[in-house]
Amino acid sequence: MPINSVIQVQNLIKQYGEFTAVGNISLQVHAGETLALLGHNGAGKSSLIKMLLGIVKPTSGQITMMGKTVTHEKDRRQINLGYLPENISLYEKLTGKEVLNYFAALKRIDKSKVLQVLEEFGLEHAQDNPVKSYSKGMKQRLGFAQAILSSPDILLLDEPTVGLDPQASLFMYQKIDELKRQGCAIVVCTHELAVVEDNIDRAFIMANGMELASGCVETLRQLTDLKVLFKGEEINQAIAEDEFLNTLAVNNQLLIHQVDKPRVMQYLTQHCGVYNFSIEEPGLSDIYHHCMNNRHQNVA
Amino acid sequence: MFTPILTIASKEIKDNFRNRWVVFIGLILTSLSLIISFSGSVVTGELAVPELPMLMASLSSIGVFILPLTAILLSYDSFIGEEESGTLLLLLSYPLSRSQILLGKFVGHITVLACTIVFSFGLTAALIHVFTGTELSLLLPLFCHLVFSSILLSMCFVLVGYVVSLQVAEKAKAIAILLFIWVAVVLVYDLILLTLMVAEAVELSSQLLQVMILLNPSDIFRALMLVAAPQQDTSSSLSSLVQFPLSNLYIALTIWVGVMMLISQSLFHRKIF
Repeated sequence: MPINSVIQVQNLIKQYGEFTAVGNISLQVHAGETLALLGHNGAGKSSLIKMLLGIVKPTSGQITMMGKTVTHEKDRRQINLGYLPENISLYEKLTGKEVLNYFAALKRIDKSKVLQVLEEFGLEHAQDNPVKSYSKGMKQRLGFAQAILSSPDILLLDEPTVGLDPQASLFMYQKIDELKRQGCAIVVCTHELAVVEDNIDRAFIMANGMELASGCVETLRQLTDLKVLFKGEEINQAIAEDEFLNTLAVNNQLLIHQVDKPRVMQYLTQHCGVYNFSIEEPGLSDIYHHCMNNRHQNVA
Repeated sequence: MFTPILTIASKEIKDNFRNRWVVFIGLILTSLSLIISFSGSVVTGELAVPELPMLMASLSSIGVFILPLTAILLSYDSFIGEEESGTLLLLLSYPLSRSQILLGKFVGHITVLACTIVFSFGLTAALIHVFTGTELSLLLPLFCHLVFSSILLSMCFVLVGYVVSLQVAEKAKAIAILLFIWVAVVLVYDLILLTLMVAEAVELSSQLLQVMILLNPSDIFRALMLVAAPQQDTSSSLSSLVQFPLSNLYIALTIWVGVMMLISQSLFHRKIF
């Protein structure tokens, strides 16, 4: 096991009777790394998160966090972990400050940290207002604030930006990035692929409890071999002499396989002297849909 | 071990005292308790209260209806409500055991109910003493029995609320099931038992009657108050039908609390999220 592997999941299986919620999953998350857990509803993401929390006991397999084997809730209690559940509605009758004080007390964190976090999350002006008067964005920020109160070593976030406006999402990912730089290992469950793409180190795509593909976005592009689009005003003219590329070019756009990308770039720049072109890579969303559409093939 | 329990308890207390209906039900209990105590004054034109055994029987009759209902309303969404809002899963991710979560909630809910009970019955006792001059040595023991047995009865029904709250998938189902239990246990069962106790025509085996009392915490509570304040004259037969000493009735009510606590603990520990 690598020395900085904070979360290590090996051959994890969870079955409910005949139904397999998670089937033989293995993954690692290192310190200072963000892993996106992607998959359709019912793919097994929540079951996996609950097993990481120790709330659900695996049928077989092993989870190691911070070097400790986690098979039960009591094992996980020794690990400094932050968690933000999906669609959480924190105690609405309490004020924001009371909510954070409550969670801080449960983790035996000093109250001064609560004031610091409230300020950091821009909630100090509303700290004495009941949570029910908060906007969706403020509630989500409060939930996120409780998750990072203890400056956790591991942070599990279930749909942290769902329903948030782009600015609020950006704020959340800025915070995630700060934590990452401090060495926190972060797992984010999300369906917002476009938002998460620029903010993660690796993605783990699941369907029906199984791993479909995993790796950094670039690796996933190679694995899926989705096509790259070259665009430029001189492309048609430049490749006119190349019989093969000429068949692929339409309206100064060239759609080629990932493997051909370096060769085409070299051809355009060195052979044709064309530098004025752009490259559109397939995004995480394209990769995800490709994996889902080909889920019966072993893309990984 | 105890700090998280007290933290959860104090949050529950804060949360529930901000719930206006808890205050509202407390006021209803206080009002009914005062009305029953002083309503005789309207007829006589003088400030007077019924004889203490009669008063205790009347106050326990209010308690037996209102306290289980209050306990149910306080506890029905304790687990399913937090499950729906996501906070139960969040609590389980904290360095807490499930027992600590359950005990914290229990301590919080019972504190809220105990405050309501002590305020309602305490105020009634104080006003009786001030306005009628009834000696404290007579009032205090009876009101202490009323308060303690009311708290034990409330504990039972708070735990019944937890058991249901841990078993259902929706808050609405929890309250529907609990209201059905309240009607069955507090109204129907109690009514049947009282009818059997007073109906001379029905020959009910004394042993069966005692068993029937023990099978329902609200009847143990009623029996407890009958034994604590035995009536001298006409209805002396009612208290004489209860063959348990006071201590045994307290033990029986405590056993009910213990059993319900064990069931709640077991269900919570086995609950799969």
